[in-house]
Amino acid sequence: MSYIDAVEKTEVPHPPKYYTAPSFEEVCGIPIAYRRQGEGEATVFMHGAGFTRRWLPMYEMLAENVDLIAPESPGFGETPMPSWFRDFSDLSIIYDQLFTQLGLDQIHLIGYSMGGWAASEFAAYYPRRLKSLTLIVPVGLRLEDNPGVDLFQLGPEELMDRLFNDKKVMVEFMEGMDDFDEGIHLYSEFSAAARLMWAPRYNLALERRLQRLTCPSMVVRAEDDHLIPNEMAEKFAATLPNSRLVQIPETGHEPCLERPKELVNEIAGFISEVSK
Amino acid sequence: MNALRFYGFNLMPYPFIPPTAEFESTWVSLSNKHYEPERGRQLYNEYIDQLVAAERYGFDGIGVNEHHANFYGTMPSPNIIAAMLIQRTKHIPIGVIGNAIPLHGNPLRVAEEVAMLDVISGGRIISGFVRGIGCEYFNNGVAPGDSVERFFEAHDLIIKAWTDEGPFTWQGDHFYVPNVNPIPRPIQDPHPPIWIPGQGSLETLQFIAKHKYTYMMVFAPQWFTKLAFDGLREECKLLGYEAPKSMFNAAVPAYVAETDEQAHREAKAHLSWIYNTGLKIPDQIFFPPGYMTQKSFRNFMSALNKGKVKKQAQLTYDEMIKDRYIIVGSPETVRNQIGEYCDDVGAGGIIFGGGGIGPMPNWMVMKGMQIFSEEVMPEFREADGKPDYLRDEPPAPQTYSETAARIGRPPEAARSIVSGSDELIDHRVAHLPEVIDASLEASSNAKPKASAG
Repeated sequence: MSYIDAVEKTEVPHPPKYYTAPSFEEVCGIPIAYRRQGEGEATVFMHGAGFTRRWLPMYEMLAENVDLIAPESPGFGETPMPSWFRDFSDLSIIYDQLFTQLGLDQIHLIGYSMGGWAASEFAAYYPRRLKSLTLIVPVGLRLEDNPGVDLFQLGPEELMDRLFNDKKVMVEFMEGMDDFDEGIHLYSEFSAAARLMWAPRYNLALERRLQRLTCPSMVVRAEDDHLIPNEMAEKFAATLPNSRLVQIPETGHEPCLERPKELVNEIAGFISEVSK
Repeated sequence: MNALRFYGFNLMPYPFIPPTAEFESTWVSLSNKHYEPERGRQLYNEYIDQLVAAERYGFDGIGVNEHHANFYGTMPSPNIIAAMLIQRTKHIPIGVIGNAIPLHGNPLRVAEEVAMLDVISGGRIISGFVRGIGCEYFNNGVAPGDSVERFFEAHDLIIKAWTDEGPFTWQGDHFYVPNVNPIPRPIQDPHPPIWIPGQGSLETLQFIAKHKYTYMMVFAPQWFTKLAFDGLREECKLLGYEAPKSMFNAAVPAYVAETDEQAHREAKAHLSWIYNTGLKIPDQIFFPPGYMTQKSFRNFMSALNKGKVKKQAQLTYDEMIKDRYIIVGSPETVRNQIGEYCDDVGAGGIIFGGGGIGPMPNWMVMKGMQIFSEEVMPEFREADGKPDYLRDEPPAPQTYSETAARIGRPPEAARSIVSGSDELIDHRVAHLPEVIDASLEASSNAKPKASAG
């Protein structure tokens, strides 16, 4: 097997709400799906382990302020996962190559949840590519005395309950998610998440490697996250050399869906401040 | 050769847990605070007694397997139980069916342990390999998505370790071992028979067909076992050979008592426990992400949706009987149903038939086993009633005299240089003063005289 095995595009179900057709860029033999909109500072959003295939209201709001690029990682959304794909180092190299092919040199990078881990890894490998780093309820560091709940042991109901503090928002975004094909697709996305995060649920080296960052960074914590311990965001903020910590009120692990306006205000303000 | 082989098997459950409705899963999340070692001690010893008894009752083999962090089967290390069984039995084959080889950091450990068991038992070991069910992956750092690849690679490594002369280097995708040189090597040539328990996935069937291994279908309804066996026969045909019946074993718990009515009375609660409680596992624990391919997951969920299969935790006792997950009845009923079952699916062996299962009390297991061995087994045996292994030539010498006669006597003696002498001395006589003296004298005569100054 060669390092790069080309993989074919696969048919995936389209969520009923906010679905948009992506563009594709072939990177390392993988057709990477991405959505892009807006003008201004090139800003990349790395998604969490879910809510793919959509141009979310939050993206729309961000795109009013920046040139937003939202790629889908291998195994998520419409990007297929090759068998050689293993870990965040593979992902970082794929993203570096993607940005080169899209003509992006320096970017503002945002990562949400698992995407916060992905963004941190990318930042540690390619610090000179970043103008700023924003991590929204990220994972990826070790909290010695608080491993948190095991995401993969949660049944669908408990998972949803822990993801959303605002159940009205949950109902809006879970519409159509009980569809059979969607269920199969989500198992597949979770399999990709497990490939990246099954064990361990942290990268100890990140604590050292993130010290290479010179760009400003911002960590967003929820008011009361029921999935990931709130201390995780605090630890990221304490670890990053040039960082600030902000909190979005009345949010759980889904600030992007629950309070997009407040969140976008913070991020857009931060990006515009560091871009001056 | 007998028409059918019977293998005793014991999962070694720990049934003293809260009522089923009070917890979500018998695996992974139900706390080990419910495990009382004092009760566990008694259970282990009863279960071992039952397996040992299977030899005198006349079973064709006894088996153990590996599961983790659950109350359904408390044998995280089956090789330990197999080691005890070796010491307490004389001739009966012992199956470790199987070791969950993808879970181990270095599969060579399994190659070493199974070789030890095989050598000590004089070649009585059947070596089974499994991926482990999805639940096992929560208890270690192996990603469920790596399970299939690790299974195949661990298998290749173990077989090569048993068959190729060491030392060699293993350079795999998942395992790297700079020096593979297991000592001991197995006594069976080229290695113990390999059994593969499985749920009938095409990948597993093709693997078994390719290697001509023995298949063991895990708990399933009769129609599904038949489907899987037909699939395996087809795969063997594609490779140009007719699969012998001995390649097919079905796991069918069977219980026999004086009458049909009495058998159901005695068995119902215990056999139901295995499925309804022992296998109460929520989907996300049973199939952690990546354990199944998207295609297998789709097939499985679609079969569930269409009502073609039912979750084992939701089966009623009547459904278990009707779909022949289990066989229960008088000796006549059980003889007939086992006969029909094996003719229909084409099985050469039945696992769990007549052995201990679920929380059934020890005395009831022993009662059932005795009736089973006296009133069911002979129906499927040659006129002498013996298990095949008592008629076949044993795989290895069974006595020292045989070993000496076959391997040669005296064998090449262990010899080494004893302090003060340059001569190699035979260890068998190395303690005799006259031998030591003679050796010292011989070596001093051989030395050139030391010259003065």
